[in-house]
Amino acid sequence: MTARIDGYAAAVLALARAEGLLGVVVDELYAIGHAFEGSAELRRTLSDIRVPLERKRGVIGELVSGKASALTAALVDLIVATGRATDLSAIADRLAESAAAEENRVVAEVRCAQSLDSATVARLEESLGRATGKDIEVKTVVDPSVIGGIVARVGDVVIDGSLRHRFGQLRDSLAGGADG
Amino acid sequence: MLSLLAQLPSLAQETVEEADGAKLIIPDIEELVAGIIAFLIVFVVIWVWVRPHISRMIAHRQETISGRLTEAEQAKAEAAKLLEGYRKQLGDARKEAGDIVEEARRSAESVRSELVERARREAGEITRRAREEATAEKDRAGAEVRDQVASLSLELAQKVVAEALDEHAQQDLVDRFIEEVTEMGE
Repeated sequence: MTARIDGYAAAVLALARAEGLLGVVVDELYAIGHAFEGSAELRRTLSDIRVPLERKRGVIGELVSGKASALTAALVDLIVATGRATDLSAIADRLAESAAAEENRVVAEVRCAQSLDSATVARLEESLGRATGKDIEVKTVVDPSVIGGIVARVGDVVIDGSLRHRFGQLRDSLAGGADG
Repeated sequence: MLSLLAQLPSLAQETVEEADGAKLIIPDIEELVAGIIAFLIVFVVIWVWVRPHISRMIAHRQETISGRLTEAEQAKAEAAKLLEGYRKQLGDARKEAGDIVEEARRSAESVRSELVERARREAGEITRRAREEATAEKDRAGAEVRDQVASLSLELAQKVVAEALDEHAQQDLVDRFIEEVTEMGE
């Protein structure tokens, strides 16, 4: 599983670099991969073996066209065509990590309720870099379930400053109080 | 005797021959001698031949009687012993029967009390379990209600908060996060 994702990520990395569009492909693939992750219905359709491959390619092609470069669209189509649509977000993660690692940077996955402007991203990169002692590259994922605030993940470390997390804590303490 | 009978007619002539009165009572010498001799012969014969027979018979008879007596005595003693034995056996049997009845009564009593005790224990156990179940059920229902209330109010709060969050508030939350992370690094 991991080896396969590594292989796909390495292939996409090599292709994107050969086309001279590494930065664009990495960002777009990351956005697409996590957009898929956010939709349960889309995930179900992609993992359902009864849905024919052509239909899956059609659905995804429609979603991707116009929003991404031709190369990214072609690479996504390739991944779906080989039947690895469910691995798309994992491949995107690995690709981003590999691309960042080449510049001695570490990817921080930042989830927030709405998209962040570039100034905010720059401030986040700086503060996360100071907190972890690494050169950070922030990849944002828009995830409405966060409600408000930010969930940042750097490797295995998760810094959760989201309202979702606060509500979770509140729920836990209420449940704990009910038990006592 | 014969001679006396023979002399009866001469008795009638007593008055006639009064002078011979003594002669009438005292027999003739020959007769007397012959009688004595005959008597002696008979006596000797009886003494020698018959007496031992008779005495033997008597002895035999006595022996027999005494033997029977002894036997009877023995039989009596035996009968008494048997009777005693039977009485003893009867007594033993009565005692045993009494023991058996007593034993049966005791065991019936113990079985009864055991059954009663077990029934009481089981009833207690059932009551206790029912009470525990009722308590657990009550607790569970209470916890469920609390959970539902908690999750409903949280859901409501989340909705309210999500609606209240405009772009500015979102940006504030992001800024606060950046501040906190910056503080972590220092």
